Amino acid sequence: MNSDVHKLLRLKRYEHPTPDYFERFLDEFHDRQRSELLRQPAWKLAWERLVDALPEFRVPRLAYAAVGAAAVVLSAVILVGQQDEGLPGTALALNDPRPMVNVLPPGRGDVRLPVSSRSEFPPHYVLEARPVSYESPYSF
Amino acid sequence: MSSILMADVAEELEINDVDLVARTQDGDPRAFDDLVRKYSPRLYGLVYNMTSNHEDTNDLLQDIFAKAYRSIRGFKGKSSFYTWLHTIATNMTINFLKKRSRTYKMSLDDVDNGIHNDPEFLELTSSPDARREVNLKELQVRLNEAMMKLSNEHRAVVTMFDIQGMPHAEIGKILGISEGTVRSRLFYAHRQLQNHLQEFLVP
Repeated sequence: MNSDVHKLLRLKRYEHPTPDYFERFLDEFHDRQRSELLRQPAWKLAWERLVDALPEFRVPRLAYAAVGAAAVVLSAVILVGQQDEGLPGTALALNDPRPMVNVLPPGRGDVRLPVSSRSEFPPHYVLEARPVSYESPYSF
Repeated sequence: MSSILMADVAEELEINDVDLVARTQDGDPRAFDDLVRKYSPRLYGLVYNMTSNHEDTNDLLQDIFAKAYRSIRGFKGKSSFYTWLHTIATNMTINFLKKRSRTYKMSLDDVDNGIHNDPEFLELTSSPDARREVNLKELQVRLNEAMMKLSNEHRAVVTMFDIQGMPHAEIGKILGISEGTVRSRLFYAHRQLQNHLQEFLVP
């Protein structure tokens, strides 16, 4: 250690603010805290508190990125899963209480569909696109 | 004997800090006010000697205590509160200095009249070997200019060791470096300062 330089630097201890500075400092601190609380939205305060709490765990910065990426992937998986469950056909097939029968001839494979009774479907009729009576008569 | 007494005083201060921190964590803001009163002069010295600017120091010190208050629930007492608070202060100051414009202006506090009775100052001004008459204001400006020529990391070590009188081990804990690194940074910084302050040093 260079003792001459050390002695010179020690003189910097005599540089300090006026005595009333530290008395005012605490009041200013309270004022700033109050105005900060009023100015910031609640979500930002909550986020700052979370960020302030994180460094105490001494987790490497990359770990936060890994956890963030994992959270995004997990969210994506959950969302895709919910969308799949939301398809009406799938839900109908899974939850359909009716018995299933193979609609292909024996030995041709196995495609099962629920048995339907006629009463389950309302009667329907297929009309010709053009009524016969409206056809123009042939003339020669 | 005196070292034992100092250790006792330090231990008592530490116990007091533990109590104040616990009360703050329990939601008593007055306990944190006591911590601010206790540490603001010391932290002011740390930040001021790293920035050489009173206004920047004031703003940074407000931010440092605000951050400490927000984070104090996460303080588990693995280090002393003193070390924890100084780590926040040093990191925030270094981050601030990285962003500060290169064209900043120094804004220096007044030098206490007590300097005229300081044995080191008397030695500097009255020594027959002194190369020149020392003008106090000029010395202050030159000291600050020399400090600002150091890198932020070197200036932090010099501030804590030479100006604030912290032991190497404590500085190492605050900066997260080994005692050996603290010593080598000091050696390098002193060599640089010696070049910048040549005219004030006794040959």
